[in-house]
Amino acid sequence: MDALNNLMYGFGIALEPINIAYVFAGVFAGTIIGMLPGLGPISALALMIPITFAMEPSSGLILMAGVYYGAIFGGSTSSILLNAPGVAGTVATSFDGYPMAKQGMAGKALAIAAYASFIGGTVSVVFLMLVAPLLSKVAVSFGPAEYFALMVLGLTAVVSLSDKSLVKGLIAAVIGVMISIVGIDTQTGTERFTFNSIQLLDGIDFLVVALGIFALAEVFYMLLRGGGGKEVPRNVIGSLKLSRSEVKQIAGPISRSSVLGFFTGVLPGAGATIGSFLGYSMEKRLAKDGDTFGKGNIKGVAAPEAANNAACTGSFVPLLTLGVPGSGTTAVLLGALLVMGVTPGPMMLEQRPDVFWGVIASMYIGNIFLLVLNLPLIPLIAKILDLPRPLLLSMILIFCMIGVYGMSFSVFDLLLLLGFGLLGLGLRLFGFPTAPLILALILGNIMEESMRRALQISGGDWTTFIDKPISLSLLVIATLSLGLPLLKKRRNKAAAAAN
Amino acid sequence: MTTLSLKRIAVLALPMAALAMTTSAQAQEWTPSRSIEFIAPANPGGGWDTLVRTMSRVIQQESLADESFAAINVPGGGGAVAWAQVARDNGNPHKLFATSPPMILVPLAGASRFDHTDFTPIARINTDYSIILVAADSEYQDLEDLFTALKANPGLSVGGGSAPGSMDHISMAGLASAAGMEASAVNYIPFSGGGDAMTNLMGGHIEAVIGGAGEAVGQLGEGSQLRALGVSSEERLGGGLAEVPTYQEQGFDYTFDIWRGVMGAPEMPEEAVAYYEELFADMLETTAWREASDQLGWIDAYQDSEEFGAFLDQQQEQFSSVLTDLGLMR
Repeated sequence: MDALNNLMYGFGIALEPINIAYVFAGVFAGTIIGMLPGLGPISALALMIPITFAMEPSSGLILMAGVYYGAIFGGSTSSILLNAPGVAGTVATSFDGYPMAKQGMAGKALAIAAYASFIGGTVSVVFLMLVAPLLSKVAVSFGPAEYFALMVLGLTAVVSLSDKSLVKGLIAAVIGVMISIVGIDTQTGTERFTFNSIQLLDGIDFLVVALGIFALAEVFYMLLRGGGGKEVPRNVIGSLKLSRSEVKQIAGPISRSSVLGFFTGVLPGAGATIGSFLGYSMEKRLAKDGDTFGKGNIKGVAAPEAANNAACTGSFVPLLTLGVPGSGTTAVLLGALLVMGVTPGPMMLEQRPDVFWGVIASMYIGNIFLLVLNLPLIPLIAKILDLPRPLLLSMILIFCMIGVYGMSFSVFDLLLLLGFGLLGLGLRLFGFPTAPLILALILGNIMEESMRRALQISGGDWTTFIDKPISLSLLVIATLSLGLPLLKKRRNKAAAAAN
Repeated sequence: MTTLSLKRIAVLALPMAALAMTTSAQAQEWTPSRSIEFIAPANPGGGWDTLVRTMSRVIQQESLADESFAAINVPGGGGAVAWAQVARDNGNPHKLFATSPPMILVPLAGASRFDHTDFTPIARINTDYSIILVAADSEYQDLEDLFTALKANPGLSVGGGSAPGSMDHISMAGLASAAGMEASAVNYIPFSGGGDAMTNLMGGHIEAVIGGAGEAVGQLGEGSQLRALGVSSEERLGGGLAEVPTYQEQGFDYTFDIWRGVMGAPEMPEEAVAYYEELFADMLETTAWREASDQLGWIDAYQDSEEFGAFLDQQQEQFSSVLTDLGLMR
């Protein structure tokens, strides 16, 4: 058991008192950062580089990794309580988490999120430990053609996210794609939809859209509805306890999403956000009660939360084994490691086993810390819902504004936020689902870029998408997942007609 | 006796010194009166950001300046948002920003209203070089092999970490011209960053990658999946890149600098420029800077304000001719 020996070695490092303190400090800071919309792990880590410079590299990475997965862990809180995702990876959590909170089950939703995050995080560390070196091959096997196919598969979820009207869902998805391509086109350098505004050259930040369409639109909607807080029942937190049947219900989604999330995280560029959406839509399709997703189904909280934490750990695979960052956050981590004198990559396992195994062991500890830290906090944090309606609404508003302004220090982005809030309100009033819009916003740009890159490499030959086995299988799965429900529907109709 | 003569000299010298001070006092004696905003015109994590944070840290660690350097990120438009902001701050001696070839390339591509002539050059700090990478098991052993293959089949894809018409593309196009190819014939595939391009190279999705040597050095060496064919420096680099031959060694008469430097607000007072020139020159001499540069694969390439300004003009000329060849001039 080589892995076990290595892990013991890693624990030897991670259990040094100073490192335990760093894990704790990291996950604690991460939780707080995650809860506040806008202040994401990227900027937090960049600010920490000067602090970690003088540290032992293993301690530095233990601390910074803790902030990263702690933020993903904590991000679910504001998604659930305020419909304002704290980090991009927890947008999907709000789909069912917020309805649960509105139904007086905030405590349960937060507890499920905590358990799912814990399991997703822990399962993925096991994977990271056992198969990281092998997985570096998987990570590089995805070229542009394969990414295109993966994004197509991801987009088929629009169908399942569209509840009532597929047409409305598709319209929302098209809007999402349009928002995603604003800015300088990376393949040609051409400006698209920028209207000569330099603020739009880099595109629109995902969180500005998400906060606008979810949180701000919710505020507007409640204002329109009027009423002085009659809808919010007292003692809104509800029980944290899960019944045995509930545990049974979420066990499957959590384990499936943990694995799916991990592998999504391994792919450079995919990450926690895409992982959580894939987990959510997979479970929605698998579930017998799939039509209650989006209305407060506990599986809809469990799946994305397990997936995003697993993906966060998975993103350490390309960073540690290849030395290439798969996301903005891991890019900052890579920079920090270089400054500390560690070069991640194929030789890291041999040259700096202390960093590699120390961090892996610290992740086990960190996940336990997160669970024991978060569970007792739930009743306290959820008290926020006890606030009188006018106070709560103004607080959400302030949170969103500070979050967006804190990201870019740009007043323009605040105006964008307002615009997306109004767009979200409009969509809601006319019965358009917003989840497909957000999904298309995340996937649209990567899908388009990958497609054009693949075609440029192949010299314009479209068969490149079906020549490659991975790409072909993903496209086949995508076709099946679109076609089968339609076939089923037709058969049901035929059966009904025959009767 | 000696004390007396010293006193006398002092007495004589004082008015002279005072006279000298009235003419050049400000030129010598300007110091910042509050903390300096040091802008990285990009998100945290990139090259500009690393430069800004490393410089601020070294200056603080070594107590080189009385006021602190505050690193500020102003992302957007490949730098254009920050440039527009600094350009408004005419004459402000407390506002600096990190710069590199995009300062020339982005305006040439028509994506910024301001170009390098709108700002005050302070100093060039250091430089990185381009490097050509292939997969470890690739059939190409040197640049000659690669270009023979590219000439025979221009469809072969060369990846880079930035958009068409930006740094990596210009560097590759210039090398292709030197190799006797049409600059625009290279099938340049833009990826979302150097790391992304290298991953695709490891996976065998593209033939070669052009990237920054500093970024690639961690990927080379024993057990690596990548191999370097050449660097764009005039002389071989040190450390992990000592084995990599230059373009020129292999008969390709071409060099390319990925320089990094500092510029300030328009019409910054000369005294302030002089202060920063000296500060940065001192910073380059410190051990803390030496260590950080070695880690990050940076090579010092100091130029003072005047030299840097002239260098920038010359870069603009060179880049616009490559962009014209590529049909990307706007």
